[in-house]
Amino acid sequence: MAVLLERVIKSYRAPDGSAVDVLNIDRFELAPAEHVALVGGSGAGKTTLLHTIAGIVTPDAGKVLVGEPGRMSDLVDLSEPARDVFRGQNIGYIFQTHHLLPGFTAIENVLLGMSFTGRKVDHAWAKHLLIEVGLGERLDYKPSKLSLGQQQRVAVARALANRPKLVLADEPTGSLDPTTAAQVLTLIRQLCTEVSAALILVTHDMKIAGQFPRVVQLSELNTFAR
Amino acid sequence: MSFFQLIFKQIRQRSLSTILTTLSIALGVALAIAIMVLHRESRSVFGQTDFGYEVLAGVKGSGLQLVTNTVYNIDRSPGNIQFSVYDRLKADPFRRDIRLAIPIAVGDSYENLPIIGTTPQYFGFNDDGTPADESRRFEYRPGRSFEIAQGKVLHVDRFEAVIGSDVSRRTGLKLGDTFQATHGFPQPGMQPDVHEEKWTIVGVLAPTRTAADRALYIGLTSFYTIAEHGDAELQRHAARQAGVPFKEPVHDHDHDHNHDHDHDHEKHFTLAPDGTIRLDAHLLEARELSAILIKTRGGFNAMNLIFNLNLQPDVMAVNPATVMRDFFGNFLDGPVKLLLVISALVTVVAAISILTTIYNSVSARMTEIAILRALGATRARILMMICTEAAVVGLIGAVIGFFVGHGLAGVGSFYLAQQFGEGIAWARVSAIEIVYIFGVILIAFVAGLFPALKAYRSSVATNLSGG
Repeated sequence: MAVLLERVIKSYRAPDGSAVDVLNIDRFELAPAEHVALVGGSGAGKTTLLHTIAGIVTPDAGKVLVGEPGRMSDLVDLSEPARDVFRGQNIGYIFQTHHLLPGFTAIENVLLGMSFTGRKVDHAWAKHLLIEVGLGERLDYKPSKLSLGQQQRVAVARALANRPKLVLADEPTGSLDPTTAAQVLTLIRQLCTEVSAALILVTHDMKIAGQFPRVVQLSELNTFAR
Repeated sequence: MSFFQLIFKQIRQRSLSTILTTLSIALGVALAIAIMVLHRESRSVFGQTDFGYEVLAGVKGSGLQLVTNTVYNIDRSPGNIQFSVYDRLKADPFRRDIRLAIPIAVGDSYENLPIIGTTPQYFGFNDDGTPADESRRFEYRPGRSFEIAQGKVLHVDRFEAVIGSDVSRRTGLKLGDTFQATHGFPQPGMQPDVHEEKWTIVGVLAPTRTAADRALYIGLTSFYTIAEHGDAELQRHAARQAGVPFKEPVHDHDHDHNHDHDHDHEKHFTLAPDGTIRLDAHLLEARELSAILIKTRGGFNAMNLIFNLNLQPDVMAVNPATVMRDFFGNFLDGPVKLLLVISALVTVVAAISILTTIYNSVSARMTEIAILRALGATRARILMMICTEAAVVGLIGAVIGFFVGHGLAGVGSFYLAQQFGEGIAWARVSAIEIVYIFGVILIAFVAGLFPALKAYRSSVATNLSGG
């Protein structure tokens, strides 16, 4: 799946009613199956950018085109339910703080990732993903019984559960120690390659970014981040 | 995971609050169901409008007391009518309206179960013990006549008795046993006044699920052999003949536990070698009855008979169905409606409990909801999930309440059977109950709508960021 952002502008309303500008992106392009690291400091608009690409929020102006080259859809033109369905079927999201559902086991959290695709739930695929991330022995463990690194691995497996064409990772290693962070990063890239998914990983860590074939500075991309 | 798997997972996550909310729903539903069942079924038992006879004749006074005492064997007898009233029914102008008239005499008991004096016609037999014709067969309910399950029907002129199906279980009496009657219904602590005469049980009735199951029936003639009955009736008859008021004497039966109560009562009958009783002529004239059950020839005949009998100075006639219908309509419908309103309020309170529980739950899991949205769940799906969650809690509570309600009605039935000899069909389910259950589920679904709207309107981006 490819991504193309054109003249995207997004601002939010502050508590005092004033407008807070977050994104002003002239153009951003991602080729199918391409892996790119987006680097930016706190408040640079990293999360808002990912939310915009995922269709969670819509920009105030501009186009957000996603899809196979030649058959891309502008998420801005889709209704919210259509964006939700598109996201459920095509996009995997890895949050900074894993955001696993506490009452669900590891495998149930992964199954959640494929529950809104409209397709039949694939238990075997969910189990395979957990085995791939090294949690084959922890399928029925709830998040409270897993370490932070293990929880993030489950989150990675969940993001790949719907066999997405695009994976968005918002500082997935931010709260992990360096060793675990490196392991998780490797897993993310490996699994994305396995399913031929494009990957946009947002990070503030240049060491992490340096492992990607392409690094984009958010300050160059987003004029409001400068 | 499927839609319902997600919902049950969410419900189990908050099991304690879910259990408490479910119990409050169950309580409201159980109350409502129990009231509906008890009202409906007790009405069919005590408010029956399907009597096998149209007229009940007795002393002038309370029609309700006459019916409850004669039909259900509860309450005190309102008093007696002269036997001559029964004789008059065999002549014009009453004869033309009457198909069958059954005399009834009450006043004594055995282990607090009523003893009723009557004739073989009451059980569908002629005086000689042969089955009566279809047209002259007494029915206590339309299409339902008494059946002798064991032995034979009693002889009206002998010391023979037929007992209801429940009497054996309660007293241990069985076919061939004898028993003595106790005067009235002694209260606990009182010394019972046991009459000298003995009756032999010659028959046991098949169960009827009416008050008849817990009664003992003796031949009407034998009823008058009880010395105190005979003496009292003779004294009342003498007073009537003299035109003076009769004062019922106070007979102190408690002064001596070993006192022979009959040593100063004269016998007013003779006994033939075959056991047949012959009442003395003066007693025959002085006999009284508690009531007469009358099967008329049909609609207008019943109205005509009631009208003509009520013109008589010494008797009152009522339609038992009308009496019970009026009783339920005037006295019971109001309180029952009030109870139903209370149970409806309890159900509403339970629905508010669902609303509160789920609202608090939604508020606590806004991040979870945002995650589900990020994974592809639409706003509408989230709204349906939360409303369905509320409906499922309502359904579980309603089902539990339904069974508990019928169980409570079963307890009520047991109590009614113990007290009045008639239980109710407590397990029977009516359409209104099903409608009510669906109504509870709908109310629960609607109660879930308010917290669901909160989730519906929530911002994914804001809640994913934790604020």
